[in-house]
Amino acid sequence: MKLTRRLMLLAATAALAVTPVVAQAGEALDRIMSDKVLKVATDANWAPQSFLNDNNEMDGFDIDVARELAKRLGVEVEFVTPDWTVITAGRWNGRWDASVGSMTPTAERATVLSFPAIYYFTPAGFAVHADSTAQSKADLNGKTIGACTACTFEFYLQKDLTIDAEGAPPFEYDVTAGEIRSYEDTSGALADLRLGDGVRLHAVIDSIPTLREAINNGYPLRLIGEPAFFEPLAVAIDKGDQELDDKIAEIVGAMHADGTLTALSVKWYGVDYSSTSSATN
Amino acid sequence: MYADTVVEDKLVHKPKFIALLFVLSFVAFVFFNLTDTIFGHFLMPVIGDPATAGIFGRFAVAFVLAVIFTANIVAIGFLPTRYQVIIVWIELIALFLLFFYTFDLSMEFIQRKVWFMISQGVFTTLYVSAISIAIAFVLAMVGAVAKLSNNGFAFAIASFYTSFFRGLPLLMQVYLIYLGLPQLGWVIDAVPAGVTALSLCYGAYMTEIFRAGIESIPRGQWEASRSMGFKFGLTMRRIILPQAVPVIIPPTGNQFIAMLKDSSLVSVIGVWEIMFLARTLGTKEFKHLEMLITASMLYWMLTMVLEAVQSRIERRYRQKAER
Repeated sequence: MKLTRRLMLLAATAALAVTPVVAQAGEALDRIMSDKVLKVATDANWAPQSFLNDNNEMDGFDIDVARELAKRLGVEVEFVTPDWTVITAGRWNGRWDASVGSMTPTAERATVLSFPAIYYFTPAGFAVHADSTAQSKADLNGKTIGACTACTFEFYLQKDLTIDAEGAPPFEYDVTAGEIRSYEDTSGALADLRLGDGVRLHAVIDSIPTLREAINNGYPLRLIGEPAFFEPLAVAIDKGDQELDDKIAEIVGAMHADGTLTALSVKWYGVDYSSTSSATN
Repeated sequence: MYADTVVEDKLVHKPKFIALLFVLSFVAFVFFNLTDTIFGHFLMPVIGDPATAGIFGRFAVAFVLAVIFTANIVAIGFLPTRYQVIIVWIELIALFLLFFYTFDLSMEFIQRKVWFMISQGVFTTLYVSAISIAIAFVLAMVGAVAKLSNNGFAFAIASFYTSFFRGLPLLMQVYLIYLGLPQLGWVIDAVPAGVTALSLCYGAYMTEIFRAGIESIPRGQWEASRSMGFKFGLTMRRIILPQAVPVIIPPTGNQFIAMLKDSSLVSVIGVWEIMFLARTLGTKEFKHLEMLITASMLYWMLTMVLEAVQSRIERRYRQKAER
C-alpha cells in the first residue's frame, strides 16, 4: 500500500516535470516582471559588441543597450552566453527572455523568433591581409573567403541573404567566393587571415566595426571597397508574447527618439550607427 | 619498472647506438636548417655571418648540435635512474618553453587574466568533472553488474546504454540533452545538461572497465566463496570487488583525466569553464594564443595533480596486496 502510494507520487511528479511549456500571450513579460530579472542571451566573444572587459565583466555596445532596456523595464539584467547557433535556433523555452546580440532579422530567423525592434545598423565589409594585392571587391572573385557560421556574412557569400526588415537599404551580391570557409566565430577567421595573404584565407567578411577593432589591435589587415550591405540589427525574443514584443518596441523607439542609442553608438564605434543615413560614411 | 631480474648493459652506452643517435640527429639538424637561429649566432666565430654561411654553415651548425645532443644523452646515461628522470624532465620543459618563447606572447596580458581563469574556469571545470565522475562511477557499477547478470532485461538495457552512449560523439550528446530535453517540456540549465551528458557518456565507458575488472577475477574465487555459503551480494562485496578494484583503478583514473579535458565540450552551451574563458577572454585585445596556451597549461597542471593522486591510490592497493 505504502509502496504503491509512493510510486503514484513519483509518477505524478514525473508527469508534472514533462508537461510542455507553452508560451502564452504575456507570459514572458509576466515572468520578467515577477522575477525582476531580464535574462539576456549574448555572445561573449564579439568585441566591441559584447566581450569580457578588463574586470572580466560583460561589456560592449550590445551589453549597454541591454542594460538600458532592463533599466527602462524596471528590472535587473542578467547575461547568459550560449552558442550563437543555439540562440538563433529559437525555442528558448524561457531559458532567457531576449537576445540583444546584434541579430539581423532575416526572413528565415523570423519563422522561429520575433523581432520587436531594430536598434542600429552596421555596414558589412571585406578585409584582406595587408600584403594582398586586391584593390576592390571585384579582385576577391574566386578567392577563399572566411565568415562565421550561420551568420548573415556567410549567407551573403552563399547569395542567400534575405533581410526583410523595414529600412534596410537594398544590396547586390558583387563578390563570388571561390571557396567559403566557415568559422565558429569571427576571431577564428581573423586569426587565419593574419597568417598571411592566401595562407589559409584571402579575405574575411564581417561587420566593419569588428574588422576595425582587429586592425586597431595590430592585425595586419586592411578594409577593401565599399560596404557590401547594411545590416539592420534587432532585439530578438521568443515567439508568442505580443505584450513583451510591444513593450520592447516602445522602449527601443524611445531610445532612438531621445538620442540614447546615438550616444551609445558614438561611445563604442565613434560613429552614429543608429540610422542608415549617418552610417554610410 | 618491469619486475624483471636480468639487468642488461645500458642501451645509451652501446657504441652502435651512440653512432646511430649521432647520425640521426645530424641528419635531422641539417634537414631543419638552424643556421639563421640563435644557434647559428653562437657559432659566428666559426661560420661567419649566418646569413651568408651557406652549405658549410648549415653542416657546421648541425654537426655541433648533434655532438652536444649525443654527448648530453650519453652523460645522462651515467646518472642514477632518479636523477635521469629529473634531468630529462627539466630539459624537455626547457625545450617546451623555448617553443612558446618564439610565439612572442604578451606575459603581461596572461598575468592580468590568469587569476580569473583559475577562480572561474578551473573551479567550474573541476566541479563539473567531479560531479560527473561520481555519477558515472555509480552508473558504471550498476551497468557492469547488469551486463554480467543472466537477467535478459538487465543485460539488454545495459548493453543498449553502453552501445548508445559510446556510439555518439560527446558533443552531440551535449547538444541533444541541452536542446532536445526542452522539446519534451523539461527545460534544463547549461551546467546540469553538461553534467548529465558527461556522466552518461563516461558511465558507459566505465561500465566496460568495471565489467572487465570483475571478469578478470578467476572462476575459482566465485566457487570458493559460494561453497562457504556466501550470498551473491556478500561474494561481490567481500571477495570479488576487493580484488577487482586494483585492476579497475588505473583505467578509471585515465577516464577521469580524459573527462577533465572533455568537459571543455560543455563550453558550447555557455558554461564558463576553462575552455570557454580561453576563447572569450582574448577577444577584446585579439590575444587568442595567449589564452589558449594558458588554458593548456592549466589543464596540464590539473592532470599532473590527478596523476599523482592516481599513483598514490595505486600504491596503496599494491601495499595492501603485499601485506
